[in-house]
Amino acid sequence: MPLSNNKVADDGTSAQPLQEGKAMVDSLIKVVACYRHLASCVGGCTDNSSLRRDLRQTRERAQALALSCRNHLTARLRDKTLPEAERKETELLWVAFSSCLELLHADMCKVFTMAKHFSLANNSTMVQTGIQGGTTEVAARALSLPDLKEAGDGTQTSSMEGQEQSQLEQEIAQVDRTLEDMELKVNVLRWTVEALGPQYADPVSTDSASLALLSIDEEAAQGFCSRSQMFAIMMLCGVAIFAVVLSVCVVFLV
Amino acid sequence: MIGLSTAACRSLFSPVCVRAVQQEYYKMTIRSDRDHGQRYRPRMSCLKKVEAIVVQMQDPSTGVKGADQKLNVTTIPHAITGQVIIAWIAKNMNMDSDEAQAFGTMLVAFGYIYPLQDHKKLVLKPDGSLYRFQTPYFWPVQKWKAEDTDYAIYLAKRNIRKKGVLDAYEQEEYNKLHTWLNHKWDFIVMQAKEQYHAGKARQKADRVVFDCQERAYWIVHRPPPQTYSAMDCGLDRHIDPNVEEIIYTQQAVMRSRVKSSVSLGALVKYMTTFKNHDPFLVPCLPSNPWQTDNDSYWELNMTDVEVPTKMRVERWSFSFYELLNDPRGRADFKVFLKKEFSGENLAFWEAAEELKWGTAASMSEKAEHIFKTFLAPGAPRWINIDGRTMGLTVKGLEHPHRYVLDAAQTHIFMLMKKDTFYRYLKSPVYKEIQKKAISPEPHNFSDSQLQQNMRNRRPSISPIITWQKEQEEKAKAAAAAGPIDIKKLMASKLDRK
Repeated sequence: MPLSNNKVADDGTSAQPLQEGKAMVDSLIKVVACYRHLASCVGGCTDNSSLRRDLRQTRERAQALALSCRNHLTARLRDKTLPEAERKETELLWVAFSSCLELLHADMCKVFTMAKHFSLANNSTMVQTGIQGGTTEVAARALSLPDLKEAGDGTQTSSMEGQEQSQLEQEIAQVDRTLEDMELKVNVLRWTVEALGPQYADPVSTDSASLALLSIDEEAAQGFCSRSQMFAIMMLCGVAIFAVVLSVCVVFLV
Repeated sequence: MIGLSTAACRSLFSPVCVRAVQQEYYKMTIRSDRDHGQRYRPRMSCLKKVEAIVVQMQDPSTGVKGADQKLNVTTIPHAITGQVIIAWIAKNMNMDSDEAQAFGTMLVAFGYIYPLQDHKKLVLKPDGSLYRFQTPYFWPVQKWKAEDTDYAIYLAKRNIRKKGVLDAYEQEEYNKLHTWLNHKWDFIVMQAKEQYHAGKARQKADRVVFDCQERAYWIVHRPPPQTYSAMDCGLDRHIDPNVEEIIYTQQAVMRSRVKSSVSLGALVKYMTTFKNHDPFLVPCLPSNPWQTDNDSYWELNMTDVEVPTKMRVERWSFSFYELLNDPRGRADFKVFLKKEFSGENLAFWEAAEELKWGTAASMSEKAEHIFKTFLAPGAPRWINIDGRTMGLTVKGLEHPHRYVLDAAQTHIFMLMKKDTFYRYLKSPVYKEIQKKAISPEPHNFSDSQLQQNMRNRRPSISPIITWQKEQEEKAKAAAAAGPIDIKKLMASKLDRK
C-alpha cells in the first residue's frame, strides 16, 4: 500500500492520497471517540460481557486503522519529493494522528486498570452510576455497522477474562511501540505545525431536549427567586388594578 | 534510577508493573513537552482506601439505598440523598455524624460522588440534596493527571452543544489552551464533534448522566477560581518513593549515630527553652499575621527596628548563636563590644562569613583584606588566636578558598561565646535594652475587622529596596568604624587633656 500511493507531484491527482489519509485519520478519531464513551461505562451498573466485547471490537478496529494510518503517513512524510503545501497538510494529519493514538493509549490503560478492579468473572459489585441503556449503538457507530449484533456471549469465566487482560496489555505495549517508532522515523516539529480550523467548533443543531434536562438542576436553585419575584409583581399589578377600579368608581359616583 | 526501579519491580511485582514502569519511562522521554514525568503524588495514596469504601457502598444488601431522580419526563435511577450517605458512613465506619459529614465531603471533593444540584459546590449537605456515584472511568488516579488535551476537548464539546455557555474562567482557559495546543487544535475540534455525535447514539437519559459525570470530573480537576481543590497535592515527585526505599534506607544506615538519651535530652532542653516562642503553642504578640491579616508582628520585628520586642530580647539570652543570628541582636552586641574596645573578634567573624558566602570573584581580594586587617603581625585589628590555628590559616591564605578561615572563625566564635557573651548578658547595655523592650498588647479582632484586614492587605517592601538599604548601611558602618587604632585614640584623648 505505501508504494502504490506515490502519485505525488505529477498532476492534480496528488490530492487523492491526502484525502485518503484524511479519511483514515477521521475514522480513527471517530472510533477513538466511541471507545471513550464505551470506556466510561466500565465498572458501572451496565458493565457486562457485551460491553467488554464491544470494547474489544472497537479497540481492534482502532488498531487496524492506526496501523494503516501510520504506514500511509510515514511513507508520505519520508518521501522527499513531496511539495511543501502537501507536506504541511500531512504534518497536520500526523500530529492529529499521534494525539489520537495517545488518547487511545490513555483510554486503554484506564480500561485495563478498571477491568482489574471490576472483574465480571468474580462478580465484583459495580458502581451504581445511573446509566440505564446499553452501548451497542455506540459500538455500531464505531464499527460502521448499520445493524446491531446482539450475539449474547453469556457469562465470562475468569480464564477468559485473564486472557483478555493479557491481550489488552499486549496491545497497550504495541501502541506504545508504535508511538515510539513514529517519533523515531519521522521528525515533525510541533511548533511548526499550525492549525487551519476555527477556534470554536460550529454549534451543531442544538439538542434542546438534553440541554433542557441538564439545565434543570441549574435552574432549580434559581427557581425560587424568580417565582417569588413573579408573585410580588402579580400582587402589585392586582393592587394597582384594584386602585384604578376604585378611583374610576369614585369618579363616576361623584 | 529508572533501571533500579525496573529491577525492583521485576523482583517484587508482576510483569505488568515492569511494563507500567517502562511505559512511564517512555512517557517521560517521548511525550515530555506537557507531561512532567512521574505522577508519584504520595499525598494521594489514600485514594485506594477511599475506593474500597465507595465499592462497599455499592453493595445491594448493605450498601447505600438510592432513589430515582425525576427530570421532566425521564427518570434516572441511583440518586442518593446526602443524609442517607452520612447515615451509612456513620454506621459502617463507627463515627458520629459530624465526622461522617466531613468524610462525606472528602468523598465529594475527590470526585467519587458528585452533587446533582449546585454542581460547583463540592460539599456533602446533610439534607435531602441529591448525589450520584461517579463512574470509575472518571475516578481520580494517583499516577495519572487530568490532561490538558482532554480538558480542551471537553470545553469544545460544551461549546458545540450551546455556544457561549462557558464560564469566564473556562473561556480564559480555552483561549490559553488554544495557544498552547495550537498544533493539535484541529484534532481537538474534530474529536469533540465525534464525541458529541457518539453521545447522540446513546439514550437521552444516559446522555444527560454522561454529561453530568464529565462536568463533575472537570469541576474536581480544574476547579473554578478561589475554590478549594482536593487535588492540590503538593509537589509532583519525580521518583517513586515506594520503590526508592532501598536507596533511602542505605543512606539512613550511613548516618552517624548518637545515644538516644543524649539526643532526647538535647531535644527536651530545646523545647523547654523555646516553648514560649513557638507561634503554634503560644500565640505570638500582637497577633499572628497569617491568621488575622494584620502585619504589626512583622513590622515590630524588622531587622532595623529601634526598639525590639521583649520576646526577641529574651531570645538573645538563650544562646550566642541566637544572638548573632538576629541582626538586631548582632547590632546590640556590636554596641557593647565598641564600649569594651574588643570589636575585632566580631568584625573578623563577620568578615569570615562574608568570605564564605560571597562571590567567587571577590574572594581573593577579601582574603587579602582580612589578612592585612586581622591576621598579619602588627595588624590594626589583630585577633588573638592560638599559634597552631594562626599558622594553618596563614598558610591556607596563600591559596585562598571559601572555607580557609573556618578553623579561625570557629575558634573566635568559641572565644566570644565563652567569654564575651556572658559579660554581655550582665552588661548595662543588655539590661538597658531589656528595660526598653516593648511588649505589644494582643489584638482582639472581631469578624468584621478580620474581613476588613483581609481587604486591606498590601504587599511588603520590594526586596530590591531592602537590599539597597542594607548596602547603604553597610557602607556607612564601614566608613564610620574604620580600624580603631588604639594609639591614635589615646593620642587624641591626651591631646584633649
